[in-house]
Amino acid sequence: MQHQFWQVTIDGLTVGSIYALIALGYTMVYGVLRLINFAHSEIFMIGVFAALFTMHALGVDSERTGLALGGTLVAVVAAAMVASATAALVMERIAYRPLRRRGAPRLAALITAIGVSFFLQELFAARYGRDYLGFPRLLKRETLFKIFGAEVKTQMVLVIVGAVVLAICLDRFVAGSRLGRGIRATAQDPETAALMGVNIDRVVMLTFVLGGLLAGAAGALFGIFFELARFDIGFLPGIKAFTAAVLGGIGNIRGALIGGLLLGLLENWGGTVLGGQWIDVFAFTVLVVVLMFRPTGLLGEALGRARA
Amino acid sequence: MSRKGIWRGLAVLFAAALVLAACGSDKKNDEATGGSSNTGKKAVTLAFVGPLTGPNANLGINIRDGMQVAVQEANEKSKKYTYTIKDFDTQGDPAQAPGQAAKYIPDTSIVGIVGPTYSGETRAVLKDLQANQLVMISPSATNVTLNSDPATDVFHRVIPDDGVQSQGIADYVTKKLKPKSVALIHDNSDYGKGLWEGVVKLLDQAGIKVAVTDAVDPKGQNYSVAVNKVKDAKVDLVFYGGYYNEAGRLKKQLTDAGVTATFLSGDGSLDPGFVVSSGTAGGEGALISCPCRLATAELGGDLGAFATKYKEVVNKTPGTYSSEAYDASNILIQGIEAGNDTRPKLLAYVEGLDSYNGISKTIQFNPDGNVKAGDVFVYQVKGGKIVELGKASELAG
Repeated sequence: MQHQFWQVTIDGLTVGSIYALIALGYTMVYGVLRLINFAHSEIFMIGVFAALFTMHALGVDSERTGLALGGTLVAVVAAAMVASATAALVMERIAYRPLRRRGAPRLAALITAIGVSFFLQELFAARYGRDYLGFPRLLKRETLFKIFGAEVKTQMVLVIVGAVVLAICLDRFVAGSRLGRGIRATAQDPETAALMGVNIDRVVMLTFVLGGLLAGAAGALFGIFFELARFDIGFLPGIKAFTAAVLGGIGNIRGALIGGLLLGLLENWGGTVLGGQWIDVFAFTVLVVVLMFRPTGLLGEALGRARA
Repeated sequence: MSRKGIWRGLAVLFAAALVLAACGSDKKNDEATGGSSNTGKKAVTLAFVGPLTGPNANLGINIRDGMQVAVQEANEKSKKYTYTIKDFDTQGDPAQAPGQAAKYIPDTSIVGIVGPTYSGETRAVLKDLQANQLVMISPSATNVTLNSDPATDVFHRVIPDDGVQSQGIADYVTKKLKPKSVALIHDNSDYGKGLWEGVVKLLDQAGIKVAVTDAVDPKGQNYSVAVNKVKDAKVDLVFYGGYYNEAGRLKKQLTDAGVTATFLSGDGSLDPGFVVSSGTAGGEGALISCPCRLATAELGGDLGAFATKYKEVVNKTPGTYSSEAYDASNILIQGIEAGNDTRPKLLAYVEGLDSYNGISKTIQFNPDGNVKAGDVFVYQVKGGKIVELGKASELAG
């Protein structure tokens, strides 16, 4: 068991990175709207499908190398990001904005989110069937290097590096840019922000687009890593990412990143020690314990107060 | 009407259309299964009992489709009877089985049952079937004690029970695969946990130990925990208990991690979906054992003809237990054609059946309802396809 430690850690960081990317979307929307967007897992699912269809469109049928690999990767990830961001934008426009305009209670938006989630799942099930669709293999699975005997493979490096870079970009964007300042202002106090000339609708749209972009990237990385797509594929990663967001402190960007990575690690460590059937039990027990001592999550800082 | 009003009106219309569409499709289903024609032939009904929806519906659907082929052929040939199938969807759940039994038992047009699909749901209704002399032939229920607890006349099955299967697989493993140690991974379901129990016990007696046991989450994608344990234990053989989606995923992740141990899974994994999950390279070499004969058009002969007909009738390729369901249906149909068109007569016919030359095997029932032939077949994934290697007993040599 001890000599599995490093391998388990690397594997945990890999799934944790995907959780983190999805968690960022939950956390941003929550920070700005105080809404748990349960349909976010379907935005992720759309990213997985978009990645699959892009691969088909590019004629990927075997492993690629060198420049072709790089180009294909960028195209696949970019297409998934655009597809998910578009879906998130449309969802906000059709499902949430009318509610907000009429000042509907938050509970209505929450139920709408669950409804949208079912709608998107069944739409994809009706269109693409209820069975798994397989991805072609794009990335050769090679051991790049070893850390303490643990094999670090190409696909793991891709996922971890991709996720961390995107999360840092988002953090910089929100902390440093003018648009980011708008997001933070709205998160802190929407009314004052509106009085100061922040266009709330635009901020909300931007928030959904950013969340969608990251979920799309997560979908593409997930697709390249696990090579499967199905209408309900977003469900479990979505729940886990939501957990990660809460663990890190919902509404907090760095919290989502840390929460995601930590949840991935905890799951894999817990599963290794206690047995695979206890993965979820262990992860959620840790969540409960953390919330008992730190009710606002590990970092517990609101999006509005994220420092520049 | 204001603009807002128009949108609201449209939304209501859309919702109404959805509801109507749903009702419409329901009606169509009823007609398809319950209709009868006025051709002067006598109408008889066979019941399908098993899961058509729910998480374990795949086997039920394969069986239902196999029945459909048999019934369609019978309707084309028969001069005396028109056959229909009535579906009783238990979702494979023992708790739902009695509720369905309360529907099919009073329906006197039903003279025989193909099913129930799973062992638990079978046990839940056996006493009621016995009390009503309603004969059943299960293509797939394999629990060892179904034939004796409770002891009934109505119980029959066309595949060997778990005990016979375990012995067959254990022989194959000890004589052919000869592993030093094995890993046991399951999906934490009753089926998955129980699948290799008998085999592992027999292997233990032969001195082959289980080095590591772990479970995977069927809803999850990441099986690296189990993969690392298998890799670390350096076993020669991995048993997997569970269904094809997870089996394929696990096999792929094992292959990707460089694990070269033989992968052996059971009947729940015998589905083309295995290769979708594993990928062609990831699934290569995986072994799948099943007491069933998987019909493919390439096999030729009776099984090949069945596969062709199946494609025509239900527009799919036959799955696990489709050919057994076809045989079970045909035994009942043969009995009815001989004039045994009431429950007691059909029961007496099946009980007295000497031998039936089916496409999956030659079927002879023991007095307790078990089938005499105890063959287990081994399949292998080769080049993205599942091919039959042969009978486990013959492969063991």
